[in-house]
Amino acid sequence: MIEVKDIHKIFRGGRGLKGFSLNIETGELVGLVGPNGAGKTTLIKILATLQPADSGSAAVANFNVSTAPASVRASVGYLPDVPGVYQDTRVDEFLEFFADAFRLKEPRRSAAIERALGRSGLEDRKHDYVEQLSLGWKQRLLLAKILLHEPKVLLLDEPATGLDPLARLNLREQLKQLRAEGITVLISSHILADLEDICTRVVFIADGKNVIDAQPPSAAGEALPAAIRCQIDFEGAAAAADSVIARTAGAKVLERKDGRLVVELQGGANEASAFLRDLLATGVTVVHFDARGPGLEERYRRAFADRPS
Amino acid sequence: MRRLITNPMIIKELRQRLRERRAWLLPTLYLLVVSGTTLFAYYLVIGEQAGGTQREVQGADIGIAIFMTVIFTQLVALLLMAPVFSAAAITIEKEQRTLPGLLTSLLTTPQIWWGKFVVAVLFLLLLLSSGIPLLTLSFAFGGVEPMQLVEAIGCTVLVLASICTIGLWCSAMFRRSVHSTASCYGILLVLGVVTAVIFGLLVSHWSDVNNNSAQLAPPAYVQAPLFLNPFYPLMAILPGSGEAFTYPLPSCLLFAAIGCLAAAFAMRRLQRSGEQV
Repeated sequence: MIEVKDIHKIFRGGRGLKGFSLNIETGELVGLVGPNGAGKTTLIKILATLQPADSGSAAVANFNVSTAPASVRASVGYLPDVPGVYQDTRVDEFLEFFADAFRLKEPRRSAAIERALGRSGLEDRKHDYVEQLSLGWKQRLLLAKILLHEPKVLLLDEPATGLDPLARLNLREQLKQLRAEGITVLISSHILADLEDICTRVVFIADGKNVIDAQPPSAAGEALPAAIRCQIDFEGAAAAADSVIARTAGAKVLERKDGRLVVELQGGANEASAFLRDLLATGVTVVHFDARGPGLEERYRRAFADRPS
Repeated sequence: MRRLITNPMIIKELRQRLRERRAWLLPTLYLLVVSGTTLFAYYLVIGEQAGGTQREVQGADIGIAIFMTVIFTQLVALLLMAPVFSAAAITIEKEQRTLPGLLTSLLTTPQIWWGKFVVAVLFLLLLLSSGIPLLTLSFAFGGVEPMQLVEAIGCTVLVLASICTIGLWCSAMFRRSVHSTASCYGILLVLGVVTAVIFGLLVSHWSDVNNNSAQLAPPAYVQAPLFLNPFYPLMAILPGSGEAFTYPLPSCLLFAAIGCLAAAFAMRRLQRSGEQV
């Protein structure tokens, strides 16, 4: 659905994209993560046809962004990092304007506006001026606006910036819903916890280049990575558990509390399973066992630890 | 063509502009200024009669005085307002971060430009048309033909439309309204004052060469800098000044050409303004 090949866009001062590539399949919700100035916004602007690339190619929904920009725009919903609204228009007028701007004809136009009002939860406030809405409601309105023409792809640049926790949760739920509807989403964000919760895949970018293509642990059916972190909640003394840890090669205690141990094991799911079996065989009363690979935050730290932010 | 008329930009812009709480204030002030200067011109002409000049003042003199005063006052006032309406039209979209939404919609850059242009000109036309009853006062006194009224309004609209295109070009070039408006006023100053100064210098040189033959109209090459002056088309068609300034058509064509060029440059710039947002 989105295909970027060796794309370059260099700005004065040397920042920009320097050979970035990306391939996103239909229905994926992909997070784009990287430090400030890594090239996230530039990539999204190129895909939204706002900026031309210096070289390389980019295509959205099988339309090349430089040769068929109108077709790309018809397929894409774009939410910029600092989106603007017409404060002095009413909510319904705002949506009507963009429905007309996307050349929606009746009856599709009215249906799209009704759907947008329903999706944003603004049916009761459709005659309010946009300036009367809170930031969270404005963000919902903007998300509804970019969905008016039923795009196949959403390009969201820092959509959660400035939102309160409840609005962020709402946004997350909306994005999960859109993914369930089969819409492909590319989202740039610094809020890793949100990405970890909603993304099927996270792409790291730094200095305009690919860094790592990391699968978050929440994605179904993935293999756990080489190092695995196990949290064990148990009843009784820790001595039996300690003996199991001592005889497990490469095991390291990260955290120790009453009735809880956090242990890092070398290996993956099989090693974690063997470790649990060993604990049970030794007579440790395990009440909770949670084995996870390193989270997105940990991966981010590993990927960008040596880079100045 | 149909898309240019049923342009959503026009509806949005008109709605926003006419919804302003003080939308009535500007036309009121405008009419007060034009009415005030008309009264002033009337009493000035009547005063000449009371002052006992050589010639008795005819009704036609009053009619022409009113007509000239209103039409030039309108042009001055509208020229001062044109940059305000046009030069901030695109920069405001940049300032309130709404331009990306327009550029990534299915609106084309000519449609966006056209919407902004039409609304800027329409507001100036609203003010211009509100002054027409004052202009027609001159018919009651005589000395002015209806065709002259039509020509004068036509020239005014052409010049204003051309200045609006320059304003929109400035608006497409800059990120901030204050910069684009200042630049547009700068261009207006060059067109209105600098061309007059150059003309003055050329006339002076030409008079010296031709032994101060004041009765002759300056030739085209001397008048050429004035073709770019926003007042020249009116001066060339109106009664009383037609002997000195005799080239309204080249001036009108030049303003039309400037308008077309500014529109083309503005659209081109607007197309690339994704870099600015």
